Amino acid sequence: MGKDVDVLQGTLNLLILKAVSLGPLHGYAVLLRIRQLSGDRMEIQQGTLYPALYRLEHGGLIRGKWGPSDNNRKAKFYTLTAAGHRQFAAERQKWESLAEVIGNILGAENSPATPALTAEENA
Amino acid sequence: MSILARLRSTLRTVFRRNQAATEVSDELQFHLDSYAADLVEQGIPEGEARRLARVALGSPLRNYGEIHRRAVGLQLLDETLSDVRYGIRGLWRNPLFAITLIATLTLGIGATTAIFSVVDRVLFRPLPYPQSERLISLGLTQPLEPQEFAFGAFFYDWSDRQQPFLAMTAESAVTSSCDLTENNPIHLSCPAVLRSFLPTFGIQPVLGRNFSVEEDRPHGPRVALISYGLWQDRFGFDRGVLDRTLQIDGNSVRIIGVLPAGFKMPRLQPVDVLFPLVLDEAAMRQAGAKGDTGVALSAFGRLKPGISLKEAQRQMGPLFSDTQKIIPPEIRKDFHLCVRSLRDRQMQDIRLTAWVLFGCSLSVLLIACANAAGLLLARGASRQRELALRSALGASRFRLVRQAFTEAALISIVSVCAACLACFVLLRLLVASFRIDQPLIADAHLNVRVISYAISIALLCTLFFGTLPAVERPRSIALSGRLLKTNSRAVLRQLMVSGQIAFTLVLLALAMLFVRSFKNLQHQRLGIDSGQIVTATITLGHKSFPSPQSQMAFFERLEQRVRFGPGVTMVSVSDSLPPSPNHTATRFFSLGLPGRRPLEEVPGDIVAYRWVSPGYLKTLGIPILAGHDFTSEERSSSESVLILSHRLASRLYPKQNPIGERIQVDRPDPKGRWYTVVGVADNVKNGGLAGKDEPEYYRLRRDRPEDWDSAGAWSRTSVVAMRSIAAPSIFVPWLRTQVAALDPTLPVEIETLQSSIEALAGQPRLQTMLVSLFAAIGLILAAIGLYGVLAYLVTERTQEIGIRMALGASRNQVLRLVFKRSLRLIVWGSSIGLILAFGASHVLAILLFGVSPDDLATFVAMPVLLIGVSLLATFIPARSAARVDPMVALRSE
Repeated sequence: MGKDVDVLQGTLNLLILKAVSLGPLHGYAVLLRIRQLSGDRMEIQQGTLYPALYRLEHGGLIRGKWGPSDNNRKAKFYTLTAAGHRQFAAERQKWESLAEVIGNILGAENSPATPALTAEENA
Repeated sequence: MSILARLRSTLRTVFRRNQAATEVSDELQFHLDSYAADLVEQGIPEGEARRLARVALGSPLRNYGEIHRRAVGLQLLDETLSDVRYGIRGLWRNPLFAITLIATLTLGIGATTAIFSVVDRVLFRPLPYPQSERLISLGLTQPLEPQEFAFGAFFYDWSDRQQPFLAMTAESAVTSSCDLTENNPIHLSCPAVLRSFLPTFGIQPVLGRNFSVEEDRPHGPRVALISYGLWQDRFGFDRGVLDRTLQIDGNSVRIIGVLPAGFKMPRLQPVDVLFPLVLDEAAMRQAGAKGDTGVALSAFGRLKPGISLKEAQRQMGPLFSDTQKIIPPEIRKDFHLCVRSLRDRQMQDIRLTAWVLFGCSLSVLLIACANAAGLLLARGASRQRELALRSALGASRFRLVRQAFTEAALISIVSVCAACLACFVLLRLLVASFRIDQPLIADAHLNVRVISYAISIALLCTLFFGTLPAVERPRSIALSGRLLKTNSRAVLRQLMVSGQIAFTLVLLALAMLFVRSFKNLQHQRLGIDSGQIVTATITLGHKSFPSPQSQMAFFERLEQRVRFGPGVTMVSVSDSLPPSPNHTATRFFSLGLPGRRPLEEVPGDIVAYRWVSPGYLKTLGIPILAGHDFTSEERSSSESVLILSHRLASRLYPKQNPIGERIQVDRPDPKGRWYTVVGVADNVKNGGLAGKDEPEYYRLRRDRPEDWDSAGAWSRTSVVAMRSIAAPSIFVPWLRTQVAALDPTLPVEIETLQSSIEALAGQPRLQTMLVSLFAAIGLILAAIGLYGVLAYLVTERTQEIGIRMALGASRNQVLRLVFKRSLRLIVWGSSIGLILAFGASHVLAILLFGVSPDDLATFVAMPVLLIGVSLLATFIPARSAARVDPMVALRSE
């Protein structure tokens, strides 16, 4: 399927945190939410989802609570904890600056050397 | 994120295991249902949708429990538990192996733990003072008084001018007792110390304060500190005890403080009441100039940081040279400066014995550990295939090593529990078979320190014998099922067996030397007949017996009473009894003979003497060789009489008959009395069982005050010796009633002379018993070790032996093959052991009595014994090698 994008291990956590930050979700809904947010362009491997959820919950970033689902079955809903909020903000910041740097590098034209270097060479 | 939250989540999973598992599977079930429902909506048939949902989840559902546990950090726990289960199963399958292994380690750890508890107080545990390692004892020594002491005449001089100490202090050298003369009179121990004593030792009273300046001056207020024990017994921990007065020896003494619970006097004498040592400082400072020594003290100091004992000794040198001026020139050479640690002062010669016992127990531990490692190595070899299989199935190297350690730890835990039990039993036996005042036994308890020692030893063992089997990497060729020859293992095991043999030989040699030495000690001629003698040691207090006459009268009345007691045939009273070295003594050259020039002065040459009653020699069975025994008439005569020991007589009068000669015993003293020699008695042992025998003379103690007042505090203690044919069980209680009838408050020590002689031999007996026990254990373990190695070699070479036999080798040749291998180990081990044993016996020569450290019998008999036992251990595997059936051996390939 062409819409599959490989998800790096580190980004999976970030995506889960993002999904959960919008409101309580059970595991399957996390999958659906990420797919939806990606505009159907990204599908998380189901096998990797639950280990990631276990780790995040163990780390205190998300908290699982049992409650009724849409079709009135018992499901475990995850919400972001205060620590999760902080971690999400920090990770997001890191990701955005990384994306910017990499974008800059990739978007750069074959331009003359940076002013600083040129200045030194002139000296 | 908080560690606490993680811990909570981990613990929740551990303790609510079922709930956690149910939640995991419920959650996944919900996931599967939801996904399958979505797939069905997309038009996939129900069954296929369920299958696809399961496939999408990756791992099978049942694995998710483990995935969850791993995520919450339980992987290590789970793996360890499975290792433990695996280990237990392995040991269970082979109970003989497990029992041998655990028994071996129990012996090793138990032995060293028991000995640790015995020697801990002597060697390791700090003394009960803050920074006790900086406390030292200092003073002069001389042949008459080998324990260092100080005199008031130079103590203040030293104290002022010394450099190496933060502080110096002293207690009275005389061990003193006093009587509490209130309602319920009791006899107390009451040492006296300087005001600087408690601060120097760093002791704070638990209640009240130290002595003040006025209180340790003459004519100051009478005050005292009381011991914690007295506070408890007499005052029931009443905090109002301060400023109360006690009636001691008829004086009112105000209590100003209470000593802490664990307080011990530096010379370990008992303490109930601590008095200030009232010294006239000015008089003491001038005493030296007047040729007086001042009071006898025991001096102590606290070293400044960074100053060593040697350095302190060196710095005190010049002060000591000045001090020598107050010692009469003719005896000056006899005196030496002594600065040693307080621990050395307290422990004396026990330390060497303690090290010997500790060293021997560690050797047993090493031998045991080598055996355990050998057993595990052998099993590791037979498990090569299993390990290779596990490795092939994906177990990492680390995992396999961890498994090996888990198994080793499992064995150690069981062994350490068994060892603590064994140690407890051994200590019970020791305490039961020795007098409780035996210094090494008195402090032996199974306490937290001892148990932690056992556990740390077990940890070290685990490291040792857990590492060895783990070092080798399983090779895939082992999967083929052939036994591999692993040389590194074999060499290691053989080295260990040689080491075991070497250590065992050292233990055996020491044991035999100690046994022989102890036999000599027991069977030597003491010169007295100790059978049927009961002794009563009585110290008369100042209060009830103020004058020499009253002391004299007391012993006369007691003598009268016991003379006609049950089965009593003889009674005597003296100030001490042989063979104990605790007797009074004088310098040889202070004996004066009329008409002869003064005796030649030899440093360290001393003469023992005793004050005795007329029946003394007869009661102890000491034969008179010439002249006659003291008579009852001489007791009330105005003439002073003397009996010489044979040794002294032949030194003083080598060529003439001493009877009727006159002797002055305190020669430097011009007023010294003249004695007439009336007899010569046979020699007796008088320097302890192993000590040097001194020449000796006996003075008759007459009914005159001067004979009872001669030796200060010494003359207050007398020993009544009675020879009675009645059993001690009847006689001793009767004797107690007789003493009580004269004075019910008088403390009296009653024992048989036999038992006090046995007590003198207590330390050698302990040492002999334990070292022999260790040697026996070592011998058994070494034999087992050797057997194990050879049995393994034989199994490993079964095929080879089969081929040899098929090619025509005889059974004898096969036997020789095994014996050759064994002999090599034995010869190497014994040679090294012999060298070590020889070194050890020379280092420990001073513990031997009547046996040379290179005793031929020992160094022949013990190697022979060891080699004999080793060959026996070789014989069994060798025989099974010779019985190999070539057909069977060859077919097994």
